[in-house]
Amino acid sequence: MAWRFEDETIKRIFSKGPSLGVRLLGLAVLSASLMVVDARFDYLKPVRSELGLILTPLYWAADLPMRAWETVHDQFSSRTEIIAENERLKAEALLMQRRLQKLAALTEQNVRLRELLNSAALVDDKVLVGELIGVDPNPFTHRILIDKGAKDGVFVGQPVLDASGLMGQVVEVMPYAARVLLLTDVTHSIPVQVNRNGLRAIAVGTGNPERLELRHVADTADIKEGDLLVSSGLGQRFPAGYPVATVTDVVHDSGQPFAIVRAVPTAKLNRSRYVLLVFSDPRTPEERANDAAQAQEEADRKAAASGTPAAPVSPGSAGTAQPGAGAPAGQAPVKPGTTSVSAPEISPATQKKPAAPVQAPAASPAPAERSQGGR
Amino acid sequence: MGWRIGHNGWVIWLTLILGLLLSIAPMPDFMEIGRPLWLAMFLTFWTLALPHRVGLSTAWLLGLAEDVLYGNLLGQNAVVLSLVVFLVQSLQQRLRVFPIWQQSGVLLVVYGLAQLVQLWLNTLTGNRPPTLVFLMPSLVSALLWPWVYLVLRDLRTRFNVS
Repeated sequence: MAWRFEDETIKRIFSKGPSLGVRLLGLAVLSASLMVVDARFDYLKPVRSELGLILTPLYWAADLPMRAWETVHDQFSSRTEIIAENERLKAEALLMQRRLQKLAALTEQNVRLRELLNSAALVDDKVLVGELIGVDPNPFTHRILIDKGAKDGVFVGQPVLDASGLMGQVVEVMPYAARVLLLTDVTHSIPVQVNRNGLRAIAVGTGNPERLELRHVADTADIKEGDLLVSSGLGQRFPAGYPVATVTDVVHDSGQPFAIVRAVPTAKLNRSRYVLLVFSDPRTPEERANDAAQAQEEADRKAAASGTPAAPVSPGSAGTAQPGAGAPAGQAPVKPGTTSVSAPEISPATQKKPAAPVQAPAASPAPAERSQGGR
Repeated sequence: MGWRIGHNGWVIWLTLILGLLLSIAPMPDFMEIGRPLWLAMFLTFWTLALPHRVGLSTAWLLGLAEDVLYGNLLGQNAVVLSLVVFLVQSLQQRLRVFPIWQQSGVLLVVYGLAQLVQLWLNTLTGNRPPTLVFLMPSLVSALLWPWVYLVLRDLRTRFNVS
């Protein structure tokens, strides 16, 4: 038997057509062309996405021990611990509610001011909650995998946040998963501004999960330790006004043309398990103004037809818009009281809907219901 | 009929998928830098043991799978794994008769070369690790090789894979 096995093996090795080197060369050329095509063109994106669909369960399986451990940990964590946590969460909820009340007042004020300015910018972005399912195994890149993909409306370039700040952006979308490039990756930069005085800068990742650096900040610029950096929205990629980092270090070196400014990201980049995917309004300001005007006219006409004074479109009626009225139906129904972070039923279709009664200046529902973004 | 071609091939595929799983399994941060090249090691074993079953094309396809998992350019890990299998196949006659520690030594060089190619490709796409630590995985893999070899050989004889 053994002899025949060896015989078979040897026959197989020596009877192969092209030699080993030629086959390696062939495969190398194939790989090289694949790499070039993948880097330069979009042809391979669907292939990738489908392969990702098949291989995503692997990430899920690799994460299983972690999940199991967490479940066990939750099961056996003592009662006192849970009571303590509950107390803490209650206190936190109270604090958040207080802030929310303030936010409600501010939102209302903002809406009114925008009405005065005749612009109807989106006050609040919509969000989708995703869960971390994997971390890039390469320690030199900072990327994570989340459990929401094309089927949930995630798109390339979408901003990703956690509870305390911006985390990064989506760089690859698979059907049921997406890859997120974090702010601290060496290939990532984000336009920011100092919250205190509006000074603009670019925050560049350093490859260290606890550090960002500001590029080309003049030595005399008014920036100091403890300044909060928020996204400026200038790159057209991230929405403006989200916290990005806190300045930890400003070094003025007379040998350097620019000041060296280091900052630590506010988001818990290597600790967060839940992330928020933001859907900002893709329309230009002109389109928004147009849509708002149309919605206003519509509301006025309806009001005139029914003989009642023009009433603000209530959140309930925005969700259940009459089909015959020609009002843009399909807007994500905003249920009163959904002030929490959970707004996961947002489909891309509703995003693309042009006009939004909820956003119309005249149609301003109670502000607390507006802030479904839950910030 | 132990010599029959294609006996218990599922064991091979199971170990290779396990290799894929291990290569993305979450690890503590400080160990991340020396993550062993599991897939390369498993492929090496099967190439040494059953060169007629596992070869360049298997390596290439698994490399593609790894690329998709890692989010690299398609073909990057494919070419690296093919290189590993190529080197192992061309050294196969000698490697098979070496004692295990000597195999480890040769494999250290082979994996080191693979990591170098990986480094070049990574530099092309723009993220270059700052120091020589990118060679760490090859060292860890070479040190782990004897155990991987013994476990897989045990599996092979137990399931009579051929």
